[in-house]
Amino acid sequence: MNSILDLILRLDCWLLLAPLLPGIINKVKAWVAGRRGPPVLQLYYDLARLWKKGVVMSTLASPAFVILPAVTWVALLSAAMLMPLGPLGAGLTFRGDALLWLYLLALGRFCTAWAAMETGSAFEGMGTVREVSYAVLAEAALIAAVLTLSVQSGSISWVTMLGPPMGAGAALLAAGLFIVLLSENCRVPFDDPNTHLELTMIHEAMVLDHSGPPLAAILHGASMKLLLFTVLLVQAVLPMSQLKPLAAGAVLACGVLGVTVAVGLVESLLARFAFRRVPLLLTTAFLLCLFALLVAWKGGLA
Amino acid sequence: MMYEGVVVGVAVLLLGLAVVAGPWWPRVWLGLTLAGAAAAVGAAVVVLVTGNEWEWRSGFLIGGEGLHVRLDGLSGLFVVLAAGVGAAGAVYSLGYWAERQYPASAARSRTWWSGMVASMLLVVTLSNGLHFLIAWEAFAVCGYFLITLEGEKPAVRAAGWLYLAASHAGTVCLFAFFGLLAAKSGGWELGPMRGDASLAPMFWLALAGFGMKAGLFPLHIWLPSAHANAPSHVSALMSGVAIKMGVYGIVRFSGWLPLPAAAGWVVIGLGAVSALLGIAFALAQNDFKRLLAYCSVENVGIIMIGVGASMLARGHGDAPWGRLALAGALLHVWNHGAFKALLFFGAGSVLHATGTREMSRLGGLWQRMPWTAGLFALGAVAVAGLPPLNGFVSEWLIYLGLIDAVAGKQASALAAMPAAIFLAMAGALALATFAKAGATMFLGAARTKPAAQAHECGNWMLVPMVTLAGICLGLGLAPVLVWPALERAADVWHAGCFASVVVPLVTLGWVQLGLAGLMATAGTMLWRKVRANNLRRGPTWDCGYAAPSARMQYTSGSFGGLAAAWFGWILRPQRMLRRVRGHFPAEAIRLDRVPETMLELVIQPLAERVMQLSTAVRRLQHGHLSVYILYVVAALAALTGLVLLENVP
Repeated sequence: MNSILDLILRLDCWLLLAPLLPGIINKVKAWVAGRRGPPVLQLYYDLARLWKKGVVMSTLASPAFVILPAVTWVALLSAAMLMPLGPLGAGLTFRGDALLWLYLLALGRFCTAWAAMETGSAFEGMGTVREVSYAVLAEAALIAAVLTLSVQSGSISWVTMLGPPMGAGAALLAAGLFIVLLSENCRVPFDDPNTHLELTMIHEAMVLDHSGPPLAAILHGASMKLLLFTVLLVQAVLPMSQLKPLAAGAVLACGVLGVTVAVGLVESLLARFAFRRVPLLLTTAFLLCLFALLVAWKGGLA
Repeated sequence: MMYEGVVVGVAVLLLGLAVVAGPWWPRVWLGLTLAGAAAAVGAAVVVLVTGNEWEWRSGFLIGGEGLHVRLDGLSGLFVVLAAGVGAAGAVYSLGYWAERQYPASAARSRTWWSGMVASMLLVVTLSNGLHFLIAWEAFAVCGYFLITLEGEKPAVRAAGWLYLAASHAGTVCLFAFFGLLAAKSGGWELGPMRGDASLAPMFWLALAGFGMKAGLFPLHIWLPSAHANAPSHVSALMSGVAIKMGVYGIVRFSGWLPLPAAAGWVVIGLGAVSALLGIAFALAQNDFKRLLAYCSVENVGIIMIGVGASMLARGHGDAPWGRLALAGALLHVWNHGAFKALLFFGAGSVLHATGTREMSRLGGLWQRMPWTAGLFALGAVAVAGLPPLNGFVSEWLIYLGLIDAVAGKQASALAAMPAAIFLAMAGALALATFAKAGATMFLGAARTKPAAQAHECGNWMLVPMVTLAGICLGLGLAPVLVWPALERAADVWHAGCFASVVVPLVTLGWVQLGLAGLMATAGTMLWRKVRANNLRRGPTWDCGYAAPSARMQYTSGSFGGLAAAWFGWILRPQRMLRRVRGHFPAEAIRLDRVPETMLELVIQPLAERVMQLSTAVRRLQHGHLSVYILYVVAALAALTGLVLLENVP
């Protein structure tokens, strides 16, 4: 009984709260620019409307074009179930779940890429190439971050990895993970979610041909992914295991809000980088995570 | 105990009969090959399940040495692989290399096929150095004749020659290895000889010889052209099984011999480099069979990361993470055999239907070949190591081993850390590579006429592919079923040295099952919802451009270009570019080619220098008897001088 309640609460957390994040980011951007901006709940309205709409599918595309967004969504939701939520713990935890988490995100990427290529559009090809190529560097940074947390805690399961305080490496890890967050979620300076010039986009260019319920699944999945990375960043850096459950929950919520606002501020203050500078920035993220790893390793030896 | 032995004997006998029957009766040949493979698998499964090794020495002498056959956990693992892929490929070849289309070579294909499977079964079961070499040579020669089935094509002949030369370069190392081993240990008999520390340096010879066959970077030079130019069923056997014979040799003799201190470091290093560079080369290829071939280099690298980690563990007080890494590596041997054979069969189906290996000439094949497209996509998910299929399970085990090694904070962590990072990058690159291969071949619009007129393959080809796909799915959803076999093989490698490790494979299996179920449900529900909401078909939107053409799609070159450019320092892409000039441009050309760097920029120049040197030396030999006598006198004088000088004081 308890576990069912826990599952429902957890699903509510991820499914219902995730679309808030893009709304908050947009609100922050509007404030900085002195506009009123769209309502915070805009994405909820969009999702509800898209869910009722019909679909136009390219004549070249197979049914996989519709099915794969659902698979991606399931992969992201499963990844969310593996991610602990402060005092709530994780929905499912076992040794090595962090690696499954990493590969579930990769599965989502593969399915999105495959669905994008279904249309035979050059724009979607462009977005796909950028997405899968930059992911190589992002993946290196992520595995370095996982190694760091694992060296710190002596475990390879999110629940124990995200508990202990990080020490000096925390700042490095935070910076590295924040850059990866921006890249994996296609935010400025890697990608501009607001642009209308398809040549400059990554993620948006991949989903150009999607419409109706599949597009809703994609948008909702993307917001879950953003929440996923935000929660990971906050928990990796802040030592929450020493707090009381309620306090930990509050810290987590504030942390997530803080990171979201930071993303909004970055988007307001920075322009998108030229694509040739993207690998450099991602390599920086990798190096930051690698230094965090070395700090954690040295710290353990001393 | 005797039964397994008798069954293995029967298996080899049946395959031998198949060699004889091959040229004349295809159906009889198929029956014999399948029966032989089934017998071999049966015997190996009994050994893997019960853990009872079977060993048989006979007074029957070959080359003055008594026959010594051993079927233990490790051999059993490779017997299942060889017999399984051998059987699947036999069925496939009846459709793919049919008598009607290839009247000249179909008979040869069948004969050499059974011969190759039989000799590989012998390689992994024979336990006498001399006989091992004989079986090894037989298997290499069978491979040569299979690769050159289309010997009338110059590219095929060149590939076959390169394969033969490389294979024999490796065999020379093995001759030296087994010869020295026999000299030092006093006999050709093979078995655990970890006690004699003076044997340790011999491991390097074994690594060179077997590494050549396994296709480890930079010894992989023969592999891409051989796999690309061989008929696809042969490519599947070469890639799925033949290169695993090299892996078998390295695993077997690293278990039997005492290891030099640096062995683990070198093997894990070679593995990490092979994994990353192999897949980087794969991403840059435009020929889909070459792409798959380079991907084999990557997968052998992944296996070697696991094997190297377990060697390191042996040097660090037999840490339990070594067992995890070894189990992962051994499972990857099976997994790679299954999904790579599936992918090569799929590639063969495409080649059969369109007649080209150039990805950028294909496109939109899913409409004409839905089965091949779906099965290839499944293989792509498996090879990219994504859940819920089998590739993920073995990579996950290797990761667990590496991460435990890092968390152990011993010196070995310094090898495990970069290996884990390389493995992750190789995984992401594999994803990009197979997104590219699948997309350019099967998705979008057909780029050429042959692609538009492709046809689905027949049942002879389809049934083995579906079977292999089922194995990929089964190994992914229920990995716990094969865990005892892996444990058995790991025990053989280094008996009882590792503390038994507990791996949450049951949990992982349930999670993967749940994932697969959820994905299927969600996909179906969304499809129904879309149908209910009104689904219309229209042209690809293309941002408002009204007349998109198939030539505007992303090609293999443009897809791989971005990430491949980061590896330009090793890929050395060659480009021929003639830009559009003037108001009335005559012609514009852009040709991109990725050479096999190690072969074309290292080995070939080296070989040319050797040839030049030899030509120079040849001037000494000219047929003038008087000068020859002068040579003899000079040599005698030099020797005399040497002896006198030595005796001075």
